[in-house]
Amino acid sequence: MTSHPANGLDDIVHQRVRLGILTIAHEARRVEFSYLRDTLGLTAGNLSQHLGVLETAGLVAIEKGYAGKRARTWVSLTKAGQTALEDEIAQLKLLINRIEPTPSL
Amino acid sequence: MTSGTAFSGDDPRQLLSSARELTRQVRRTQRATWFPLLVLAAVTFAAIPFRNSPHRLGTCAATGSARVCTAYPPALLVYWPTALVLAYAVIAAFYIRQSQARGVGTRVRPYVVAGIILALAMTGSLLWTLYHPLAFTLAGPGLFPALHSYPFAIGLALVVLSWGERNEALLALALGYLAVVLVTATVGSVSGHTGLGYPVQLVIPGSVLLLGGIGFLLAQRPGRRAA
Repeated sequence: MTSHPANGLDDIVHQRVRLGILTIAHEARRVEFSYLRDTLGLTAGNLSQHLGVLETAGLVAIEKGYAGKRARTWVSLTKAGQTALEDEIAQLKLLINRIEPTPSL
Repeated sequence: MTSGTAFSGDDPRQLLSSARELTRQVRRTQRATWFPLLVLAAVTFAAIPFRNSPHRLGTCAATGSARVCTAYPPALLVYWPTALVLAYAVIAAFYIRQSQARGVGTRVRPYVVAGIILALAMTGSLLWTLYHPLAFTLAGPGLFPALHSYPFAIGLALVVLSWGERNEALLALALGYLAVVLVTATVGSVSGHTGLGYPVQLVIPGSVLLLGGIGFLLAQRPGRRAA
């Protein structure tokens, strides 16, 4: 018996904000904290919490620095984060295939 | 500022759809397609006067019953690689600056590396065709001189940029531009590289770059990016 695709979902990644962070970091390669906050419509505190969860799980790397006099925080995807994102997308597609009604012949 | 991307719902379809929309939004933020097109249009137009240099590099050789001579202005062999390397450096600096300002990484490195390699390789290849006997049989009118031109190298690098930016509109423009380069260079070589031949080979491709740059500039204005 094959397991249900929902069993393959990672609780850390299968959360809409964290999936959004991983998606943006994957496409942008390196993304600034304020871009994530504005694009996902979060408060700074809320975004920091989610980033903390992802960083602890080793899915993102966080780098702090300065651009001129302005403090900047850059987020990038780790190799584990890349794999986790690919797995999540694959599992979501499997789930959709399961719940989509099969056209009758 | 909140850009207002919808990212809600735990339904797998909604999650996937939101992820796709976020991906598109990041790509739109990363693009600055108009800048390299306008810079390269300027580089192309600026090359026209260098053709009038009185000196020529090249040599003559007998190929069968005919005697074939090759010639190329040395000023162009200095101008093109220098101008292109500088242009790609300026383009890279612009993308990095924009990346810092907008808060997203840039995908310009493969384009800049490919552009510089193609510019230098084209210079080496042109020198080879000017002096190597094997190249003399290829040096006449036809597709070979068209493939052997700096505007063609610019077009190939633009294909790399379209891949980096995941930009289908730029891919279409780059392929159209390459077709224009091949047609104008072939017509120019038939007319013997004299008179209007060479300027036309640069003015038409340069105009394609200029118009493309203006089009992308209008389409990628900050006010339209969120649209």
